[in-house]
Amino acid sequence: MTAADSEFAAVLTGVFHRYPGEVRDSISAIDLTLRSGERVALIGPSGAGKSTLLSLLDGRLRGFRGGAIVLSNALDARRAPPRNERAKVGFIFQEFALVERASVRENVRNGRLGRVTQMAALFNRFSEADHSAVDRAMADAGILEFSEKRADCLSGGQRQRVAIARCLAQEPQLMLADEPISNLDPLRAEKILQLLGQTVGRRNSTLMFSSHQPVLAMRYADRVIALNNGSIAYDGSPEKLDRVLLAEIYANDKGSDCPSLRLVG
Amino acid sequence: MKPTDPDESRRASWRAVWPSLVIGAAILWAGIGSDIELSRVANAGGRIAEFLSRMFPPDLSIAREAVDATLETLRIAILGTIGCILASAALGFLAAESMTPRAINAPVKAMLALMRAIPLILVAMLMVGAVGLGPLPGILAIAFHATGMLGKFYADAIEGVDRAPVAALESAGATLLQRLRYAVWPQMAPDLLRDTVFRFELNLRESLILGVVGAGGVGFYIQTYVRSFQYDKAATLTIIVVLIVLLIELANTWLRRLSR
Ligand SMILES: Nc1ncnc2c1ncn2[C@@H]1O[C@H](COP(=O)(O)OP(=O)(O)OP(=O)(O)O)[C@@H](O)[C@H]1O
Ligand SMILES: [Mg+2]
Repeated sequence: MTAADSEFAAVLTGVFHRYPGEVRDSISAIDLTLRSGERVALIGPSGAGKSTLLSLLDGRLRGFRGGAIVLSNALDARRAPPRNERAKVGFIFQEFALVERASVRENVRNGRLGRVTQMAALFNRFSEADHSAVDRAMADAGILEFSEKRADCLSGGQRQRVAIARCLAQEPQLMLADEPISNLDPLRAEKILQLLGQTVGRRNSTLMFSSHQPVLAMRYADRVIALNNGSIAYDGSPEKLDRVLLAEIYANDKGSDCPSLRLVG
Repeated sequence: MKPTDPDESRRASWRAVWPSLVIGAAILWAGIGSDIELSRVANAGGRIAEFLSRMFPPDLSIAREAVDATLETLRIAILGTIGCILASAALGFLAAESMTPRAINAPVKAMLALMRAIPLILVAMLMVGAVGLGPLPGILAIAFHATGMLGKFYADAIEGVDRAPVAALESAGATLLQRLRYAVWPQMAPDLLRDTVFRFELNLRESLILGVVGAGGVGFYIQTYVRSFQYDKAATLTIIVVLIVLLIELANTWLRRLSR
């Protein structure tokens, strides 16, 4: 990998995607460059295409058109990236995607699976480094105290923090988070955004997270991308994104009639 | 629907009475049609008493044989269960809607339904015809019959697996085997274990009686002794059967308390 390659976490050129059987593109004409070390907030009304864009970057979206390079690996529209590439990109799922019948610790440890040899993992043999990464991730996410509880015995916010810890334990170069604070109380939400930002800063990795709390999100991002109807409506610094512009982005959505409510950070 | 429509209300009242008419007719037909002489029961008092008296005291001299027969029954149940676990794993996978296209899972589901619809005793008779007397036809019969139910249960367990965590682990770099081990297996294991233990219990109960058609185990000896009028020996074995059933019940209660 050359220095020029590692300067960019992701490069998208002219990307389109439409879910099978739909009449509208979920994302269209996306041109986007993520520089290494950036912390990007992804905002926009419900259905704007935030989750779709994030799953594209995660290598999970099939059937897109256009060019997509993530951590210098060119994505294939027909198949998932190879294992080592998948391990480099971490994802915090909107619906958490936890193994309900497994303990918190086991769920977090699953984040390490991309890094251990297949045989070792099948027989539950994780290294010291794996165990300490899991413990650190749980401590950071504030879930150590219930680490032995089963995931299906937790509250929504607790489950969300388990999903976050799983991604932290993975130690990815690019961290993608789909509404990572949707279920958290205001204090926790700030703490988690702070934590994600710090983690990314410490490892010089890259963060992109979506949120329905634009004002809060902007405080923890050095770049904001707003999606509307699948296209980029704003891409720039949080400072330049004023109330008027914000209201416009959300007002374009027919469903949301009162954007000012959303602005409460 | 207009309640005032006379046609409609006549149809409704017909719909309400016809099940009663069918049931009534069936009872009449069953009672009149066959030559059941209730008087035989009334006159049989003496014979029943004699029959029972010949069972007492149970002949304990066959204790050795009884233990062997019991162990054979246990062996039939264990091997039959292993057989149905293997067949159910394969057929359950094929029958799961989340694993195979409809062209495969629908016929396999139908086949499983058919397999559990055929009475075990009939399967056992056919197996005895096919492979001869002894425990082998019993094992085959149990494996075949039980797969009809266990295969369905396994398919349900597979269909119940939530794909989201599986996709999450794939995204984190887990291989197919790792995903099966850490996302699929933990979701299914408790159900598979519960269903398999339940089926083993049924297999054990059912294998007690299989021998009646010559498929090995305690039942075979009971049938042999009854046919040769050695009721005292048959009594010993009957007591053993009752004891085993009680033991199964006890184990069951204990297991259920454990798994709570
Ligand atoms: N699996 C799917 N099949 C068909 N259409 C889909 C699917 N997932 C999303 N869509 C559609 O694609 C568009 C973009 O959806 P997406 O989930 O990316 O939006 P979002 O910005 O994440 O919304 P939210 O804020 O509600 O999570 C929407 O119109 C949605 O209806
Ligand atoms: Mg979404």
